[in-house]
Amino acid sequence: MLKVLRIVSGLSVALISSCTSTTLDEFRQGETGLATDESIVILGRRQSSDYETRTEFVECVGERMGNEGISVISEQPFIDALFPWFEPRSAPMRPADLGRILEQPSVAEKVGNFGVRYIVWIDGQTEMVDSAGTISCTLSPGGAGCFGGGIRDFQAQYEASVWDVANLTSVGNIAADATGTTYIAAVVVPFILPARVEPISCDRLASQLAGFIMGE
Amino acid sequence: MNTLFAQKPSCKFIGLVQGLTFTALFLVLASCGVSTITIEGSFPSPSVQAEPLKVAVYYDDALRDFSYIEYSEAGAEEFDIRSGNSAIELFNALLPGMFAEVVVIDSLEDADSFGVDVIFEPLIEEFQLALPEKTKLNVYEVWMRFNMRLTEPDGGFIADWMVTSYGKTPVETFRSSESAINEAAVIAFRDLASSFALSFRRVPGVRDWLETQDRN
Repeated sequence: MLKVLRIVSGLSVALISSCTSTTLDEFRQGETGLATDESIVILGRRQSSDYETRTEFVECVGERMGNEGISVISEQPFIDALFPWFEPRSAPMRPADLGRILEQPSVAEKVGNFGVRYIVWIDGQTEMVDSAGTISCTLSPGGAGCFGGGIRDFQAQYEASVWDVANLTSVGNIAADATGTTYIAAVVVPFILPARVEPISCDRLASQLAGFIMGE
Repeated sequence: MNTLFAQKPSCKFIGLVQGLTFTALFLVLASCGVSTITIEGSFPSPSVQAEPLKVAVYYDDALRDFSYIEYSEAGAEEFDIRSGNSAIELFNALLPGMFAEVVVIDSLEDADSFGVDVIFEPLIEEFQLALPEKTKLNVYEVWMRFNMRLTEPDGGFIADWMVTSYGKTPVETFRSSESAINEAAVIAFRDLASSFALSFRRVPGVRDWLETQDRN
């Protein structure tokens, strides 16, 4: 019986995980390539008033790209070293604005010390777009338990813009769009099959970006 | 025949239920009191061109002891936010990067003895907090307004201007309100520093005074 339960659970996880769908769109505007002594920095856009790109997602993309052999500078040390030029209020919105910032001798020196060739701006968020069902839980001296079920639909939309620091141009954009459903069932104990929308978006976007940066 | 319902609960079981009840009551009462938050953060030195000036900075008691009380909808004190020390740490990190030499003075009368070019006095005018449970948004928001005052060592007026700043941080599972408020306040302080550092030379009174200094 236990063996059958394990098999059913494993199949359920595989089935549910495959219910997350991802779309990637790449738009290239220039040639790319990264030398062994060059690096990239990935920064999150935080200018919007109603959302901001999560630090955890930016770190995830950086970590995955690092696993593919690309030298990635961490976001916060870069922002701190170049303070106050990359704060939400002052961050450059176009490559031309970056050029004006680099006219500051101390800023140009620090960017050079980091060896940054490309700046990757990530803008987007993951949010719950729909939900259905209810779960109620009770606690009494006789015992506790939850009953019910529900689904939660999630959507992750991110766009990565790549700037060439050496030439002060935008070399392309990659958009990642993912949707998935979290299933929740409760018979005394809640059982959740989460939609791994954000981790899957991170993996796919990072993989696509790595290829883009290397000029593939 | 003994049945489950005919048996009396054991003393141990009664004691356990009583213990849990008292613990739950204690937690509920503890959460009803005001929560004190002393803002803590690290602030980097700015990468800007330093003005060739010796500046005395005076921190008034109103800044040092600044405290903001957030009230619940029922009118009870909910959060007591103390930001004075953090403001001082911010300016102590910011000013040495903006000016050739900075001294902290204990009173305005001490400035003459240090042979400074100018006296700088920051004062916090307003602090506002927006909580997600009140705004129905998924962010904690902090607004601040500072009055920046610049005078000559003999008391001569140079400039007096307002700088506003804003910081927000999203709601996250398993993060306390205190931690989120602290982070939003630190982001607002960094925004203040960014705005002050990048706009200093453009303040009309400051610009005119610096031009007279350049001519001399």
